[in-house]
Amino acid sequence: MLFHTWPFALFFTVLYAIYLAVKNTKLRLPLLLAASYFFYACFNPLYPILILYSSLVDYAVVTAMERWGRSRIWLLISIVNNLGLLSFFKYGTFITDNANVLLSWLGIPYIVQQPGILLPVGLSFYTFQSMTYTIEYYRGNLALSEAEGIEREKNFLTYATFVSFFPRLVAGPIERAKNLLPQLHRTPQIAPRDIADGLSLFVVGLFKKIALADYLALYVDKVYAAPEQFQSPALILATFLFCWQVYFDFSGYTDMARGLARLMGVRLILNFNNPYLATGLGDFWRRWHISLSSWFKDYVYIPLGGNRKGRFNTYRNMFLTMVISGLWHGAAWTFVLWGVVHALGRCLTRELETTSFYQQKVPRIIKQLLVFVFVTFAWIFFRAESTADAWLIVTRIFIGGAGNPYCPLLALGLIFVIWLYQFIYESRAKWILQLKPVRAAIVIFMIIYMAVFAGPSVKPFIYQQF
Amino acid sequence: MAQEISSNVDLDPPLARQATSDERLLSPGEWLIAGLVVAALFIFLPKLWPLLERFEPGPDYRLPYELGNDYWLYNRYCRWACSHYKALVVGDSVVWGHYVSKDSTLSHYFNELVGQEQFANLGVDGIHPIALEGLLRYYARDISGKTVLLHFNPLWISSLKHDLQTDKEFHFNHPRLVPQFLPQIPCYKASYSERISAIVQRYVAFLGWTAHLKQAYFDSRDLPGWTLEHPYANPLKAITLELPAADGFEQKRAIWDEKGAVKIDFQWVELETSLQWRSLRRSVELLKARSNTVFVLVGPFNEHMIGDESVETYQKIQAQVEHWLQQNNVAYYMPQALPSRLYIDASHPSSEGYAMLAKQILEIHSFNAKFTRRRGGDG
Repeated sequence: MLFHTWPFALFFTVLYAIYLAVKNTKLRLPLLLAASYFFYACFNPLYPILILYSSLVDYAVVTAMERWGRSRIWLLISIVNNLGLLSFFKYGTFITDNANVLLSWLGIPYIVQQPGILLPVGLSFYTFQSMTYTIEYYRGNLALSEAEGIEREKNFLTYATFVSFFPRLVAGPIERAKNLLPQLHRTPQIAPRDIADGLSLFVVGLFKKIALADYLALYVDKVYAAPEQFQSPALILATFLFCWQVYFDFSGYTDMARGLARLMGVRLILNFNNPYLATGLGDFWRRWHISLSSWFKDYVYIPLGGNRKGRFNTYRNMFLTMVISGLWHGAAWTFVLWGVVHALGRCLTRELETTSFYQQKVPRIIKQLLVFVFVTFAWIFFRAESTADAWLIVTRIFIGGAGNPYCPLLALGLIFVIWLYQFIYESRAKWILQLKPVRAAIVIFMIIYMAVFAGPSVKPFIYQQF
Repeated sequence: MAQEISSNVDLDPPLARQATSDERLLSPGEWLIAGLVVAALFIFLPKLWPLLERFEPGPDYRLPYELGNDYWLYNRYCRWACSHYKALVVGDSVVWGHYVSKDSTLSHYFNELVGQEQFANLGVDGIHPIALEGLLRYYARDISGKTVLLHFNPLWISSLKHDLQTDKEFHFNHPRLVPQFLPQIPCYKASYSERISAIVQRYVAFLGWTAHLKQAYFDSRDLPGWTLEHPYANPLKAITLELPAADGFEQKRAIWDEKGAVKIDFQWVELETSLQWRSLRRSVELLKARSNTVFVLVGPFNEHMIGDESVETYQKIQAQVEHWLQQNNVAYYMPQALPSRLYIDASHPSSEGYAMLAKQILEIHSFNAKFTRRRGGDG
């Protein structure tokens, strides 16, 4: 049940009506939890068992820490359990595939059987979210309510709702316990402004998904399915389109998630902030999938030592963090390569970005263009079906002929309009976009465009598979 | 993701409240205005569209073959036909005239024989009784107080597959018109999203109109798919406001046995359990409830094609059909099979076959005066 489908519209309409009726009563949390589990069960009836298990373990771990002290063993149980789930469900096939390659290379006549299990939707997101709770409690940073001296969540129902809260269940944002749990505790105040903002977010997200991302996917999928059949212009344009597709798809999902939560009086954290207007790779990661970037910063980069132990270690930590982040995205070497490309790019440009030449002499638009070109190039590795395909695409981009790409002009036009919109938004001409008639016209355009022209989208979200 | 990279990431509530250009923040009042504008567009665009798009059906008009799934246009044509014609001929491709040109259809010969334009061809190619019920219920509400000749093609009960009763999924015609949830159609396995979308489209004319645009101007594709085929074309220019001609179907005229077809032992479905027959009955009841005078034409099926072993069952079914029609006081005509040479296949007559059929019906039921109210059984 995806946000952009009719069953979800029906589900949410019914749920919202009940939610508004019970939001001031004790039924609010049980309703949210039941709705979230039902939502998850719509993907697969067995999924709720997994999320319940994950929630139970982390809840028990923190309860144990409270009772018997913040011992590292409890934290380890939580981390091993969460990463174990991830490894089993997400990396099982990847690990066995590579083990078999290694065994064959070593001449050992043994084949490790593949687990043959599909990755449960949203697993990477909720295991990471659940881990923030145990890690923060272990560190003594949880402090859900300093005024009341509450250090951990006592009510399992609330905790299970925190882990499974359906707007963000499938693909984030990866919430922090500190932000979401207190909101679940409070009786939500839903003002007309929340409803207006929630609707705005949802409509923008829906437009990004069904009018843009799914449209661009048509061309991207065609080219990336058989890159050997396409020449340089088509491959460049398909990569350019994918760059926007993945942004529209993921940020569209996040907008819808934030919009739905907002309608229910819950504020989820910002996850995207015009990433393709970034002026450096560091800036890019401050704007792209912010909740994951900050997760890796807090729970991987800093524990590795961060930038506190000299230049070499800083680069090593940075590199490792990026590669692990790549692997988080998917169990394939293409994702690892994507992480490596970003790591190399970041390491190579980090010093440059701090120079006064780069900061003051290079025009902003040039910086944005350079970052955009680099990020677009890196997406090749993310999108390609295999590493062989990725190399083929990179090679053919440079020496692959110059045939007609047959890329829809409308798609390019729409991207240009969106880019221009974001560019104006970050410029001094922002006031134009804040005029009431302009804003209303944009919303009306989006709704009518979706209703008239968009295809019947049932494509899943790209990040849902991670 | 390094520390300095993310040092600006602030997860405190202010971040949650921060707005980016990704958010189009309208105030509640502005949403109200935008909502009203959108609602007005939803209501008025489909209503005003006919002022822009030329639609001049003319004599012997039938829905263009390419627009067979354009129910919004069917609805528009239906409204037009109801205001211009005395009688409406409703049914599947036999009525539409699958193998003949528009001036060789049943309705054409009716008009020719009565000497004036009285019969409108409201047939839809490939529509089976279950879909026809949906079509009449949701897109032909204008058929009220008229005389309607409703055709029943026994082909639709000639096997479990035709009756949509197989458990195995297969793609049949006009799925958006069939009941989406209840009664269940075993071979229909569409997703919930598709089913709900089909239901919503029945009640929101705007969505029917957008489907019309796709059918009429974008090769029955949505805009994204169309631009993939026409990457450098201007989609707005594709909306020419000119609908396809009514006679765009390639006609095949060979007689059934000349094409190498042989006799078939049809696996007739029991009438009591047939989904198609049940729908036809409901269509009759629906039309009657809308104050129409209903006349049912059963067949004529190409009995020359029925294998010896299934003839008896066919005759039994005919008798059951006749019995129900009589019991429910429905005028009907169940003609003898036409001569073998007048069939193109199991159910479609040739041009000459239509002429003969029209003559038979008019002779027996005095169509030229007023669509007969006599019982069909007396023919």
